[in-house]
Amino acid sequence: MNDLESTDRQMSEEVKETTYWKSLNELANNKEYQKFAEREFPENATELSDGVSRRGFLRVMGASVALAGLAACRRPVQKILPYSKQPEDVVPGVPLYYATAMPVQGNLVGLIAENHEGRPTKLEGNDMHPASRGGTSIFNQAAILGLYDPDRSQSPLKNGDKASKADFEAFAQSHFANTGQRIAFISEANSSPTYNNIKEQALSKFNNATWVTYEPFGEDNVVEGNRIAFGGRLRTHYNFENADVVVSLNDDFMSSTHPNSVEYAKQVSSRRKVTDTDGEMNRIYSVEDSFSLTGSYADHRLRLKASQMEAFTYALAAALSTRINGLSAFSGYSNEFSDHKWITVLADELAANAGRSALSAGSQHKPEVHAAVAAINNALGNTGSTVHYLEVPHLDEQSSTEAFADVVSEMKAGNIDTVVMVGVNPVFNAPADLDFENALSNVETVVNLSDYVDETSLKSTWHVNRAHFLEAWGDGYSFGGARSVIQPQIRPLHEGLSEIEFLKTIVTGSIESGYDLVRDTFRGYYRSGFDNRWTNILHDGIDTTGNFNDVNVRLSSGFSSAMNRATSNISSTSGMEVVIRPDATLYDGRYANLGWLQELPDPMTKVTWDNVALMSPATAEKLGIEEAGAGQDDYDVVEITVNGKSINIVAWIQPGHVDDAITLTTGYGREGIGRVASSYIDYTAGGVDVYPLRGTDNMLYASASVSKTGDTYEIACVQDHHSLEGRDMYRQASISEYQENPDFASFATVHTYEVPGMKEAEEMGEDDGPISLFDEQTYPDHEPQWGMAIDLNSCFGCGVCVIACQSENNIPVIGKKEVKRGREMHWIRNDRYYVGDDADSPQAVHQPVPCMHCELAPCEQVCPVAATTHSDDGMNQMTYNRCIGTRYCANNCPYKVRRFNFFNYPKEYLTTGDDPDIIQMAMNPEVTVRFRGVMEKCTYCAQRVNRAKIEAKNETGSPKPADGAVKTACQQACPADAIYFGDLTDDNSEVAKMKRNERNFQMLEELNTRPRTSYMAKLTNPNPALA
Amino acid sequence: MSKYQYVPEPALVKGDHDFSSLTRLVTDINLRPTPKAWYLCMIAANGLLFVMVAAIGYLIWEGTGIWGLNNPVGWGWAIINFVWWVGIGHAGTLISAILFLFRQDWRTAINRFAEAMTIFAVMCAGVFPAIHVGRIWVIYWVFPVPNSMAMWPNFNSPLLWDVFAVSTYFTVSLLFWYVGLVPDLATIRDRATDKIRKVVYGIFSLGWTGSNRHWWNYEKAYMILAGLATPLVLSVHTIVSFDFAVSMIPGWHTTIFPPYFVAGAIFSGFAMVLTLMIVARKIYGMKEIMTDDHMEKMNIVILVTGSMVGFAYMMEFFIAWYSGVEYEKAIFMLRATGPYAWAYWAMMTCNVLSPQFFWSKKLRRSVGFTFFISIVVNIGMWFERFVITVTSLANDYLPSSWDYYSPTIWDVLTYVGTFGLFFTMFLLFLRFLPMVALAEVKAVIPLADPHNYDEETKEFEAPKVEVPKPQAEKV
Repeated sequence: MNDLESTDRQMSEEVKETTYWKSLNELANNKEYQKFAEREFPENATELSDGVSRRGFLRVMGASVALAGLAACRRPVQKILPYSKQPEDVVPGVPLYYATAMPVQGNLVGLIAENHEGRPTKLEGNDMHPASRGGTSIFNQAAILGLYDPDRSQSPLKNGDKASKADFEAFAQSHFANTGQRIAFISEANSSPTYNNIKEQALSKFNNATWVTYEPFGEDNVVEGNRIAFGGRLRTHYNFENADVVVSLNDDFMSSTHPNSVEYAKQVSSRRKVTDTDGEMNRIYSVEDSFSLTGSYADHRLRLKASQMEAFTYALAAALSTRINGLSAFSGYSNEFSDHKWITVLADELAANAGRSALSAGSQHKPEVHAAVAAINNALGNTGSTVHYLEVPHLDEQSSTEAFADVVSEMKAGNIDTVVMVGVNPVFNAPADLDFENALSNVETVVNLSDYVDETSLKSTWHVNRAHFLEAWGDGYSFGGARSVIQPQIRPLHEGLSEIEFLKTIVTGSIESGYDLVRDTFRGYYRSGFDNRWTNILHDGIDTTGNFNDVNVRLSSGFSSAMNRATSNISSTSGMEVVIRPDATLYDGRYANLGWLQELPDPMTKVTWDNVALMSPATAEKLGIEEAGAGQDDYDVVEITVNGKSINIVAWIQPGHVDDAITLTTGYGREGIGRVASSYIDYTAGGVDVYPLRGTDNMLYASASVSKTGDTYEIACVQDHHSLEGRDMYRQASISEYQENPDFASFATVHTYEVPGMKEAEEMGEDDGPISLFDEQTYPDHEPQWGMAIDLNSCFGCGVCVIACQSENNIPVIGKKEVKRGREMHWIRNDRYYVGDDADSPQAVHQPVPCMHCELAPCEQVCPVAATTHSDDGMNQMTYNRCIGTRYCANNCPYKVRRFNFFNYPKEYLTTGDDPDIIQMAMNPEVTVRFRGVMEKCTYCAQRVNRAKIEAKNETGSPKPADGAVKTACQQACPADAIYFGDLTDDNSEVAKMKRNERNFQMLEELNTRPRTSYMAKLTNPNPALA
Repeated sequence: MSKYQYVPEPALVKGDHDFSSLTRLVTDINLRPTPKAWYLCMIAANGLLFVMVAAIGYLIWEGTGIWGLNNPVGWGWAIINFVWWVGIGHAGTLISAILFLFRQDWRTAINRFAEAMTIFAVMCAGVFPAIHVGRIWVIYWVFPVPNSMAMWPNFNSPLLWDVFAVSTYFTVSLLFWYVGLVPDLATIRDRATDKIRKVVYGIFSLGWTGSNRHWWNYEKAYMILAGLATPLVLSVHTIVSFDFAVSMIPGWHTTIFPPYFVAGAIFSGFAMVLTLMIVARKIYGMKEIMTDDHMEKMNIVILVTGSMVGFAYMMEFFIAWYSGVEYEKAIFMLRATGPYAWAYWAMMTCNVLSPQFFWSKKLRRSVGFTFFISIVVNIGMWFERFVITVTSLANDYLPSSWDYYSPTIWDVLTYVGTFGLFFTMFLLFLRFLPMVALAEVKAVIPLADPHNYDEETKEFEAPKVEVPKPQAEKV
């Protein structure tokens, strides 16, 4: 029975021993090397000051050169030496896939890591994990870059000086021997049972310790709202799959900034998969201040200031109280929104769909709003069907925001001896009125564990470099309560500690292996059959037992009085208000050093590398803000003042934004944490830190005064033109229109005539499209024919396809300056258009555009050297080696999907910094890194296609893989399953079915390029009452 | 008196010139000691040439990214300049070949000059397609050279046609120019006193003695090359226009492009010849050879071709509307009213409006005004290429991809630098080669045709020529 366990342990030991070493010296654990590695400067470098002799100088030079060589050498053993004993299952060149999970704010998303000879290169969603179901968010995709970020902290620091792990261990042993000292633990949200066990140990060992959880955008208010409504601190977990009607009150639950966005996006979009005219769709309402992804996906959208959301919620509850039971707390209540058209419509709609509806509110709204929402959901009978209330063991008993404020005031008062911070960065992101930095200076010893040497690390006595989740063992729960083990994929690149190892070191004084800690935790769960279950959990990436308790809730007795207090005491702002939100690509700032995310255009504004102050056209006019003209990148700067603190930031006109309000996003304006987040050559990440405007009393919104400064600032925006100009690249209809006219998206319906040349082709007996001047390629029968269909009814524009593609295909980050010059390199882009006559409140639509792989490709005809040609399986291929870079193909591409290497981008990206080998490890070895002067574009992930073809041919003799065997990176990552890819010669393949659907249309069909990528027209499900 | 009065053509060469005075007038320039002003000009031109070489060097070192190109606009100043220079390079061959075939004797005063300009302009043009590619070190792949990759170029690509068209044009123009030079080089050789000149001109005049046989061969060769060059005049810019017309971008994909490009090329070429001629004839005192009559004739060509170009602009607009293709309609509206409207209206003013002044005979014969318009026309023609190349790419099918193109300093320097190449070559030409086709001019002065009419009565009398009976050739 113990055999397996010991083998396991042995294997893990082996992995630890052999994966990484820096040099032969290190391998030999040479004393001299240790001394050398720990010294910041090589021997004699400091001796230079006392009399420079030439010999001394040469010695310094020699040592520096040796150091440079050592520092750069971090290749995996497998790459340097052939396996003397080939491990079982490892075939060089064939990647292995392991299940793991990524914690974001403590919530795990199950992932599958692609591992090339001991080096993870790509993360994908885990089909078996409920929070992923195969999908990912942009943060999950970008985590691989986070692992190889050369700017991550590489060693512990003591008062800013380099120290070793052993030094920290020694410090922990001595410092934390005093168990009576007053310790404050400030931790990020962490669902890990191991971590929480150690937390308990810490709190019992240190009897004067306090523990607070701090997240700048946590779920505290939701939990607190549920306490008001139901008396228990519960998490709200939706199941939108059961919801016919979804109402979001300023809750952007589909965007990657939501901790459970992947699961929610799957659920919501699954209810909009319409395959024929009998199909039905859910109906989504969004009430919000700024244009969110959820808002752009909604059937109806209402602009409302964040400060009015509370009154709106109570008015809705009051309206519902006349229609359903259970909301007596609101009966008779009315406010200025009670006569609002939307209140009546929403109340009718929710009441009519009782038990099949879901109402959600933005997590940063007041607890009372969430209490009202919880009560409404409960009264509607949604509890148990569309809404679940979960008992989450690791949630604190007290509201974290208050607890955090209490601790900070204790710190200020000098009542705290030691602060231990795990993964948090409060110096940067704590509410400004707490003045955390000042409070920290009153604390004698500050210990901090973080990925980067960030703002907080700089103020700490001890900084410990944190191991990335792909480097260390861990565990935790998904948002919905599924338990998983985080499997490391590589030995810590910089010998960092995971949060459980770190905390354990503080408690016990010695570093223990995270592997043992996690195994011990899970051993506690399983009395018998541990080894088998452990192996299964690792293999599947999910533990099917030990989920959160789904609580059967009842309204608490104090709810009515709480609501009475709330309704009579509604806070709102008059005049201009400022709303602070997590950034769509950098979140609260923790991803600020990831170039992929910096360069990912904001899904709505399409701005890269900067944050901007969003405002409606009317507000902009009031402030005298004008849009920059064609070719101008200079935008007006405004000064925003809240409570006497002001920032200067670029104003950005966001159609659909509510008037008299400004939305700011966090995470920018970092200094010194890394070369991407800070100004560095051409990577001039800009942006402004907006946390100074955020206070404990206005975590979401505050009244502000705004004025134009007269300055301008350059912004790199990838989409200058926001209107479709009446063109038909994007086609949509309401579901009733679709039922009446299923062919609404066909060319003939849109244009009222057939595609030109079609009749002539029929006369000539051709059936594959209009006549063509060029010889048509003939495709051999034995080859599969690849095609793609993108369902616009599913896509909500999150941009994860872009990051997944960037990760899979080694697409370089080019920096703000180059993006500003219009040279973005993304192979798939997400076009966003505003539709509708109402300029103040338009509809926003998203359209991902990869290469169309035209059968009659215009690019192929014009290349003078035949560098782009067709393959037998119908892909438009780009031969980098043959390309001379005339750019004619890109000019002639009507879809503008070709990308040119104007400079040697990969060189800048992959060879800067002291340790370029590390970032190089993020590259996919199956995809060429392109050199300067060549064209590149989407390949339909040719490397994946070919691997599947080879496998299929080996197994069946035919190079046609089974349907679903090949997934492109974008398709795999999409949380809404909007992308279908497969073999068109297989009539039963998903993509072939989609292409036969009436909604299928080709972009620019009249050009007769015969794209292999087509689109499925979008459907909306409007409420006739709001039409 | 007969019913029809014979009105003799005005003399093509003014003043009282005989053969030897013409010889002196033209070849003394090459035989005199080099004037100081020439050196000054040469230094300036070489400075610009250096700018070009430096700009190209940096381009090759750093990549095409130093230019202002971006994602929708993959072609910018480089291609604009290429088309512009090629267009300018049309006048020479047109004047020497087509006008030769049409027996337009007035061409003799300017053809040498114009052909030289053609060759240098094509050299300037040729720089751009070579350097604008991303990987210049493999540019030879566009030539059908047998290679170990077993790859031919893509014969479907208009860029490849371009390679052939421009290189053929350059070769034929050069040969044509050189053949025309041979008798004049011999003249200089005969007049040269120093040894070096005697040898060098001697080598390049290919042993010309002025014998009947030489003249016979010369005339035939010249005629054949004129015949060969004539279709090339039309084909080169037709094929350059195919770079645009064969692609599928709105504003490019139009059938009017070949004639419209050729007309525009002649338009700009004549303007450039005028610019250079007005300066050169003043400096070198050639007003009697390159007369105001020549200028007027060329101005008429400019008026005609300018109006053709203007017609083409309007026809493009009409067809865009008439075709009903929304992308075509949009791009033409955007050209006139969109972000690049300034370039469009600059083009319209310079190309369509400015030549219309030449309806006035007085303005046609005004040297200063002609000089001004000739420069305006070439500015206008540059803008035409800008409007075609950039606006179409910047605003094509998908509005999401629309972007604005602005050049960088390197675009400007490369363009300005090509003037260095052009003027370096041109100054060398002026210094070392006869700038007027001496032998041909001599053939059109009255002295070459002594008996056609009676000097005293001014009456025309057909010369009675006795044709000698052909004699059997002795072997």
